[in-house]
Amino acid sequence: MKKQSNSLWQDAWQRLRYNRAAMVSLWILIAIILLCFVGPFLPFVQSPTAVNLAESSRSPSWAHWFGTDPLGRDLFARVLYGGQVSLLVGLVATSVAVIIGVIYGAIAGYSGGYVDDLMMRLVDILFALPFLVLVILFSLVVDKPAAEFTNMVIEVTNFERDRVAPITTLIPLFIAIGSIGWLTIARIVRAQVMAVKKQEFVEAAVSLGLSRTRILMRHILPNVIGPIIIYTTLAVPGIMLLESVLSFLGLGVKPPNSSWGSLIKEGADRMEIQWLLLFFPAIFFSTTLFALNFFGDGLRDALDPKSARD
Amino acid sequence: MLRFILGRLLQGVITLWLLVTLTFFLVRAMPGSPYLDAKAVPAHIIERMMAYTGADRPIHEQYARYFVNLIVHQDMGDLIKRDGVKVSEVIAESFPVSLVLGVASMAIAMLVGIPAGVIAAVRKNTSIDFLCLAVAMVGICLPGFVIGPLLAVSAGLGLESINVAGWSSPTDWILPALTLGMINAAYLARLSRGGMLEVLHQDYIRTARAKGLDETRIVLRHALRGGLIPAVAFLGPAFAGMISGSFVIETIFQVPGMGQHFVNAATDREFFLIQGLVLFYGFLIVVANLLADLAQAALNPRLRQSVGH
Repeated sequence: MKKQSNSLWQDAWQRLRYNRAAMVSLWILIAIILLCFVGPFLPFVQSPTAVNLAESSRSPSWAHWFGTDPLGRDLFARVLYGGQVSLLVGLVATSVAVIIGVIYGAIAGYSGGYVDDLMMRLVDILFALPFLVLVILFSLVVDKPAAEFTNMVIEVTNFERDRVAPITTLIPLFIAIGSIGWLTIARIVRAQVMAVKKQEFVEAAVSLGLSRTRILMRHILPNVIGPIIIYTTLAVPGIMLLESVLSFLGLGVKPPNSSWGSLIKEGADRMEIQWLLLFFPAIFFSTTLFALNFFGDGLRDALDPKSARD
Repeated sequence: MLRFILGRLLQGVITLWLLVTLTFFLVRAMPGSPYLDAKAVPAHIIERMMAYTGADRPIHEQYARYFVNLIVHQDMGDLIKRDGVKVSEVIAESFPVSLVLGVASMAIAMLVGIPAGVIAAVRKNTSIDFLCLAVAMVGICLPGFVIGPLLAVSAGLGLESINVAGWSSPTDWILPALTLGMINAAYLARLSRGGMLEVLHQDYIRTARAKGLDETRIVLRHALRGGLIPAVAFLGPAFAGMISGSFVIETIFQVPGMGQHFVNAATDREFFLIQGLVLFYGFLIVVANLLADLAQAALNPRLRQSVGH
């Protein structure tokens, strides 16, 4: 039996296609992304920020599918627009954190010795710095450049301010979350790299005379990709929720714009009076994260070359 | 081994010094001042207060004084807004509460999370696996400010012997510890499932199977050691975080722990309290990460060279 050789990712995709839970999750994710990014252009979706006090705190109806909040804003529209923010934060901020964390942790774990000590003590320091103080200082520093950047984008693209501002004000948020989020990933990757680099196949690669970069990138990292995927999909909910905390502190999403995190927070405050205000954003939020994590597990299983033999 | 620990402790001291130095200058770079109030404070009173706490001196002098007090007199300074209260008193008062809560949540997280992850890995792609994952996901996807009130409401209605909020009777830790523990149990379950799956396909597990060992023994004695590495790497900082309190949990359940001080000290610009808390938290991080690294070396013989065996 002759078998055509496939790359790691082609093999993984083959295996992934037969994992039903992962494929269902993938379709759910695609559906939610489409709903949030294409949905707002549909004619019957209302403005997420239009206040209508005559319609305040309504239950779901034909006019307002998810009901309205105390200011009479349509909750369905707010959930869709909020989803744009949360999905973007989940994607961009997590990617920033994962990329920094993987590179940093891999270098520390592979180098060992003094380099490792120095790099990991720096992580300890960053871990212990007072988060709130950093956020306050950071929001001071970025306020002006962020406003200038928004004006520049408006000038170049000629879009309305209302469409540009909600996205560009997120950039400081991405930087803030990305620069804190990588710390735990770095620790996990370092631990895993240290475990893998003592294995026989690495010894074989060393004795073949491969360069350190090549060994790290081609031989060690593919073997620690499982824990990286798991932790990445695990980190997304925390990062999306961190967004609502940071937005509350004045960094990121500004009212009247919404995100899933901020909607859940608003809903939690009014849980006893109008529980649907918590229910709808929470359902979208958790469905997305459930799907993402099941997909992540499927991807991990698919990328594990050894599990193919089962 | 001893050399490794001593070396790490020395590094820890340098880490803490850098950390406190950075914090010292960062908090003073914040806008606002601890001497201002919502009401207008007359200028001469502010001057007197600043002279009293030494804040009118040049910054390098304040820095030197802080470290002399810290090292020579073991004094972390006083609160600025509450006269006569020491930073060390605030920490001594709130840390035991957070410690009890943190250890309890940690126990819950480990007792639920690790077995769930291991069972899910052994029974991969069965309904038990999906069930474990789904339960774990609830803990991650629902934020603390949702789980907390939900638990409080259901316990308040169902179990009358448990207080929904407060910190006076011996059972008061149950609800906050469950809330905090569930979140971390979810992380542990996912990380240990992933770690176990990596290990279960390795050659030494096949060797163990070939020797005819029974499956339970293979999982518990051979696979568990390597499979727990990602979870242990996560546990280091997570444990330090749990025993130093959580603002959200403490607010929901009215627990007098340390988490509230981290937030209030920053908003009140209580410089010395922030520095003291950071120093204390940094110490916990250094120790927890050292313990995590030692635990990793104990679990995986391949790592032992790096700790000086």
